[in-house]
Amino acid sequence: MTSIPEFMTTKHRECDEFFTDAEAAVAKADWSLALTKWQSFALELSKHFSQEEDTLFPKFEQATGMTSGPTQVMRMEHQQMRALVQDLDNALAAKNKDEYLGLSETLMVMMQQHNMKEEMMLYPMMDQNISDGEQIIEQFKTN
Amino acid sequence: MNINGLSFNALPPIDLPFRFFLTAPLFVILCALLILFSGETLWISRWHPYMLALTHGFTLGFLSMVMMGALLQLLPVIGGIGITKPRKITYFCHTSLVLGTLCLMANFIWPNTVLGFSSLILLVCSLGTYFIAFTLVLLKKLSQGDSIIGFRLAMTALLIVLLMGVILLSQRFELLEFSHTGKELTNNHALFGLAGWGSILIISVSFQVIPMFHVAPSFPKIISHYLPSFLFFLLVLSIFKPTVVAPFIVLTHGVFALSLLFVISKRKRKIPDSTIRFWQLAAFTLVGLNIFYFIPDKYLPSHVAQQKTLLIACCYLYFYLMAVIQGMLLKILPFLSYTHLQQKCLMNFAAMQAIPHMHEFLNKKHAQWLFYLHIATGGILLLTLMMPSTYWLLSLLLFTEFSWLLYLMSKTVRLYFATLTKVNLSVNA
Repeated sequence: MTSIPEFMTTKHRECDEFFTDAEAAVAKADWSLALTKWQSFALELSKHFSQEEDTLFPKFEQATGMTSGPTQVMRMEHQQMRALVQDLDNALAAKNKDEYLGLSETLMVMMQQHNMKEEMMLYPMMDQNISDGEQIIEQFKTN
Repeated sequence: MNINGLSFNALPPIDLPFRFFLTAPLFVILCALLILFSGETLWISRWHPYMLALTHGFTLGFLSMVMMGALLQLLPVIGGIGITKPRKITYFCHTSLVLGTLCLMANFIWPNTVLGFSSLILLVCSLGTYFIAFTLVLLKKLSQGDSIIGFRLAMTALLIVLLMGVILLSQRFELLEFSHTGKELTNNHALFGLAGWGSILIISVSFQVIPMFHVAPSFPKIISHYLPSFLFFLLVLSIFKPTVVAPFIVLTHGVFALSLLFVISKRKRKIPDSTIRFWQLAAFTLVGLNIFYFIPDKYLPSHVAQQKTLLIACCYLYFYLMAVIQGMLLKILPFLSYTHLQQKCLMNFAAMQAIPHMHEFLNKKHAQWLFYLHIATGGILLLTLMMPSTYWLLSLLLFTEFSWLLYLMSKTVRLYFATLTKVNLSVNA
């Protein structure tokens, strides 16, 4: 059985892997590899956000009664990251290397900060407060 | 990636660290002018009054200035809590550090009681207040991360440097008499300043920022957990047995350099980046210094052997400490600017469109030029130590490099405030 912090942190690392591969491919102007890696990243990121927003955050809010606390900040940051992902989609489609690399550095900084907050504070709090955490993770694994 | 010890937190106002960052290059520009006007005589000895003014311009005016600004921002991020009343404390510490450093430099050049006492009081007030403000936070039960332990050691080193500095300055006015000879105390003062306050802080910060900005693995536990404490222990020992301990201090830096190169080589983000280049330059410098230090003098050309200590000190200062600090500034400035603006847009999503991306805050090519300028200036610095007649070229390059750094930072800060106005208009609309 895998805990919430363990599983979600591993997913952060997997996203990092796709993200840095895509960025390196853009730097070398290998656009087809960049597109493949970028799409894998975008898919993983979107799945990860959905798992948090649709399942984990509501469970946490229900268990703690905290509806306007950390989960709300995380939701807003997800929105900001989605907007950056959209900008990066456009830069990739236009094969605009400089724009892509400027935006990717920005998204990277945002992601790392966001991940730190989740890994340091939110996931351990979820682990303590969500009683069926490991069953939820098992469901995530099968989806 | 190292996540231990990072938390949600309110960042201190951005103009506080900016204040320190923007002042720092001005001191090196002043040093460049000092080099130009003092001519070849400055390079005769490390005890030359102009040389003492120069070293304090670099170490207090630039290094400490940036490090004090950076810690303001780093402590809340890594430890979860910032200092209380940051604005009042920053205004006071910054102003007194600027005035105190200027008085100290002037006092070395034109020794007189007024300048000497002014520098003593101003620097004790500045560094003392800063030390107390940070110690009050660092004494609290913070996340016991390795970086926080390093910060505590670096702050202790700062206090020791300050106390030694006070004794040295007081001796000049014959206020105090100590059994320690002036040279021994000066050596310890310099060692605690560079390898304690400077190096331990940089090492501790590297444990956190390299994994974060470059998606690299954490440093080996044995390094991040024990190296800063071991280095501090060696520095304390060196007060009593300087010649026995010095090789171990050099070796400890070599171990850090190798682990730094290892972590950097394992980073996932491999795109060209000037900050990483500065870190690599620092690491290779420390490895090179280890080799140079352990070569017996008889195998070195006589003029190199004569200047060995000064060459090592200059390489350490310029290619290690100042290199890392400039590399960090290139990352921290756009990072802080973006993060502060992004936080303002949390409640107003539309305003986010107004925020420039990281490379618009600081152009990558411009950052690269700073790196090349740094290599050129450092090279000429070493040449000047051997051949003082090139002092004018060193002055010119120093002036150019730090004017360029100042220009890059001012550009970022201007863009930050212009964007802030747009974001505020959008939020209030």
